[in-house]
Amino acid sequence: MLREVWSGSIEILRAMWITLKHFFRPPVTNQYPDDRVPVYPRFRARHVLKRYENGLERCIGCSLCAAACPTDCILVIAAENTEENRRSPGERYAEVYEINLLRCIFCGYCAEACPTEAIVLEHDFELSTHNRWDAIITQEELLEPHEPDYILIRDDQVWVEPKWGHLTK
Amino acid sequence: MTVTLTIDGRQATVPKGTLIVEAAKQVGIEIPVFCYHPKLEPVGMCRMCLVTVGTPLVNRATGQSQLDADGLPIIRWFPKPQTACTMSVSEGMVVITDSQEVAADRKAILEFLLTSHPLDCPVCDKGGECPLQDLTYRHGPGVSRFDYDSKHHSAKRYPLGDLIVLDRERCILCARCTRFQSEIAQDPVLAIENRGRDARIVSYSNPVFDSHYSGNTTDICPVGALTSRDFRFHARAWELTNIPSLCNHCGVGCNTVLSTRRGQIARIMPRQNETVNEVWICDKGRFGHHFNSSPYRLTMPLIRRDGELVEASWDDALQHVASRLTSIIEAHGSDSIGGIAGACLPNEDLYLFQKFLREVIGTHNVDHRVGLSATFEDDTVYAVGVGTGTDLGRVGRDTAFLVIGSDLDQEAPILYLRVAGAARHGATLITAGGRPTKLDKQSNHSLRYRYGTATHLLLGMIHVILEANLTGNETVPHRVNGLNELRANVADWAPERVAEITGVPPDEIRAAARAFGEAKNGIVLYGPEGLGWGNGTQGTSWEAGSPLRQAVANLVTLTGFIGRPNNGVIAVLPHANSRGAADLGVVPDRLPGYVPAERPGLNAQEMLGGGVRALLVAGADPLAGVTLADELEFLVVQELFLTQTAQQADVILPAAALAERDGTFTNLERWVQRFDPGLPVPGQARPDWTIIRQLAVLLGADWAYATVGGVLAEMAQAIPLYRGMSYEQLSQPVSLSRRMSHYIYAGMSFQAEMREGMQWPALAEDGSAKLELDWLDPPAPPAEGDGFTLVAPRVLYDGGTLLGQAEILGTRLVQPHIALSSADAAALGVLDGQGLQVSANGQSISLPARVDGLVPQGVVAIPRNLKGAPAESLLGEGRIFSRVKVVKG
Repeated sequence: MLREVWSGSIEILRAMWITLKHFFRPPVTNQYPDDRVPVYPRFRARHVLKRYENGLERCIGCSLCAAACPTDCILVIAAENTEENRRSPGERYAEVYEINLLRCIFCGYCAEACPTEAIVLEHDFELSTHNRWDAIITQEELLEPHEPDYILIRDDQVWVEPKWGHLTK
Repeated sequence: MTVTLTIDGRQATVPKGTLIVEAAKQVGIEIPVFCYHPKLEPVGMCRMCLVTVGTPLVNRATGQSQLDADGLPIIRWFPKPQTACTMSVSEGMVVITDSQEVAADRKAILEFLLTSHPLDCPVCDKGGECPLQDLTYRHGPGVSRFDYDSKHHSAKRYPLGDLIVLDRERCILCARCTRFQSEIAQDPVLAIENRGRDARIVSYSNPVFDSHYSGNTTDICPVGALTSRDFRFHARAWELTNIPSLCNHCGVGCNTVLSTRRGQIARIMPRQNETVNEVWICDKGRFGHHFNSSPYRLTMPLIRRDGELVEASWDDALQHVASRLTSIIEAHGSDSIGGIAGACLPNEDLYLFQKFLREVIGTHNVDHRVGLSATFEDDTVYAVGVGTGTDLGRVGRDTAFLVIGSDLDQEAPILYLRVAGAARHGATLITAGGRPTKLDKQSNHSLRYRYGTATHLLLGMIHVILEANLTGNETVPHRVNGLNELRANVADWAPERVAEITGVPPDEIRAAARAFGEAKNGIVLYGPEGLGWGNGTQGTSWEAGSPLRQAVANLVTLTGFIGRPNNGVIAVLPHANSRGAADLGVVPDRLPGYVPAERPGLNAQEMLGGGVRALLVAGADPLAGVTLADELEFLVVQELFLTQTAQQADVILPAAALAERDGTFTNLERWVQRFDPGLPVPGQARPDWTIIRQLAVLLGADWAYATVGGVLAEMAQAIPLYRGMSYEQLSQPVSLSRRMSHYIYAGMSFQAEMREGMQWPALAEDGSAKLELDWLDPPAPPAEGDGFTLVAPRVLYDGGTLLGQAEILGTRLVQPHIALSSADAAALGVLDGQGLQVSANGQSISLPARVDGLVPQGVVAIPRNLKGAPAESLLGEGRIFSRVKVVKG
């Protein structure tokens, strides 16, 4: 009886010692969102549709990503490029491109299947939405922005000259 | 005669003349091919099917094969590999398809074909169902020794007409398309131009790729070179849901596959059925599906209130119809109500429609014969229709066809392919018509009668056949009544007298009649242009058409061309289910199954002319260009669109289209075939049969049909002709081995479900049935005189309700015009495109003239069923031709 009380007290003291030890260690919690942990280079989060250097979309609307997708969360509806409306090199482009992020398991098969390396899983993992519809991201959200070549500042106006053509305000 | 050969160690016994590639298929060995197609003549262009072939060494003195020391025949191998698609089998032949050498050959051929292939499979419509892709995976090299820049580059998007796009980079020059056009479609408008590396497909016609069958080239193209503009980039092959369906544009009943994506039809493909459409469909069937998704579809019931059509709920609309019908019946009796159903409705709907009128309302005022249908009365086919088991794709040398008064290329395009194909395989083809048609090019005897004298021509032929005693002596004495009377009656119609009336030389009549009578099997196809002769004073038009049908029936009966497969009559009826409408008693004087009605009701013309106070119209547009009769108080229309009839209706009930429901059609050859639903119904539209059922229930009937299959089950009980038919039977898939299997679907991403349908037997097939040779006096031939004969031929791309919605066919839709011969144009002093005025019956219309080589002198043609219906308004309902005056202006 006495022996059991003695050994129990020892156990409690050992546990308290661990607690005390950790009490003086620096904390591991990051103060997200103020303090962000860098992700690994091959971390897979939200998709991005890439462009060529001249601004044309890489995506040719071939639906191979949708075919490869194990959760069937990608919708591609293709259309034909015309001289007036050229979105990608070649004949075909994706007119509609949507991903349902609620279904996506971020396996990266779509990027694997893409023949033009148009779809890539990048590092944006902040995907919460206020309603379920917003979890379906559209082509406008997916396409990476056209990166301007340089910016002209003239008369307090900002002019952006994209790489592929005319000036826009 | 069979031949036994060895393929990869397996013994195959096949008919003599079989090609090695087909023989291999029978023992389960697939020899890869690109240019070979079972429906086309072999050419050996792609060299993909190279195999090692040897034949036994034969001792010339004894004719026996020489044996080696082990007692086995000595095989003499061909020094080079042979093409399996061009070489026919021979006794004792040995074929090797699985050796290293053959594999190396296949690899080399594929590498060669891929030297200038762009490999843009991700954007290619064929990707996923491409024989080149499949065979490269199976037999080809994994890598190419050629880089993209050193490849041969040519036009990527070369339009071949409005419907087809050619990608010349992808083309492997197998010539399937050019051979299809010249052999099957008989429109040799495609050709290979230049030689070697510069060879390319071109179209020589104007307009480019001018053929009713152009879409089929995209199906048989083994690469993505030919793609349809309608489907271009709309979906990948694996994204499609494929639903077995039927074409609803003509009476041939082509089996189709609806490939749908996201609730819309992405494309329509043929579904193999060797007895109906083989593996083809026409461009109307392929591209004319856009009406399904048209924004002009009716989606809500409409009720006319204060002169305006306003939306209403189904309950309100049906209650309104029921109460109005009840009050009209109470006030004026059952016979003040009538119904007109279109012959495009499925069998079940037509059956319920006539049952509704006959049993619930209590009247025989029911008809389907409006428009072109008005020319037909169909018991000829009931008695002497083609025998069950007829397969026009397999008839040859011993069969004679007589095509009278029908332009098959325009009226029933796939029937044209099959008849022309039979002629190509040696069948005797006799065409008789008032004007030349495309089929004349294939015919052995082409008879050109004056319009209105088709019956006289047939009587002349019967006279010759009786004179030469070419009657079917096995059948005729036992089964036929009235032969002597007929003999006496046609004695007056010697070819010389017939020649005077018809304008066909007596020698030609004799030759054609003998050719027909001497054949072993005979098939007669008659179309609207032999019928519908009315001179404006006598009776209704279909009575006037009876003598021709009686003459056709007499011709096949006395020659014994009845009651057997590949013998009998096919009426070239205008609509998808014209046959079914006649079978199911949607006529005032017959109950379902051709049982005469005791108390015939009013026909469509009489109903429209004011014979009824309330009219139910389902799937028809009888009031196009016609004003409502004053007597008509209440008009109910079930329709897809706001047609001219619907615009005048008191209640409009929106109906579901074929692709949105299931049902059955009966085709020209009496095949009852099933189609499945593939699309969601727009808005609140409902299938016609449910609308009729609900109305019946509201009027107090205890109709408890839960499914459309239940309606067919009742029909199978009630109508002897449809005995044994059920949805299970009709959707029974046919296994590939039962029929010759094809490479056509080898590349397809789907296994097209083949169904055979069921064919009801004609009366003549009952061996104990006696057949009557009745006599009807031919109508008086039209008076000769000044002026022209106006004909209103049916054209494929007309202005019908369904076709008008297909923008892609827009440029092909026929615009109203007056076609005339160049001689007449010169005499009238008009040029192509100038105005011409045609007048008859106190009416006249002006349309641009078109000089057409296919119009004989003295005839002017205005296509029927165009917007505004100019031809019909001149001729009158149900008439095909009439005498008119033509002046410039």
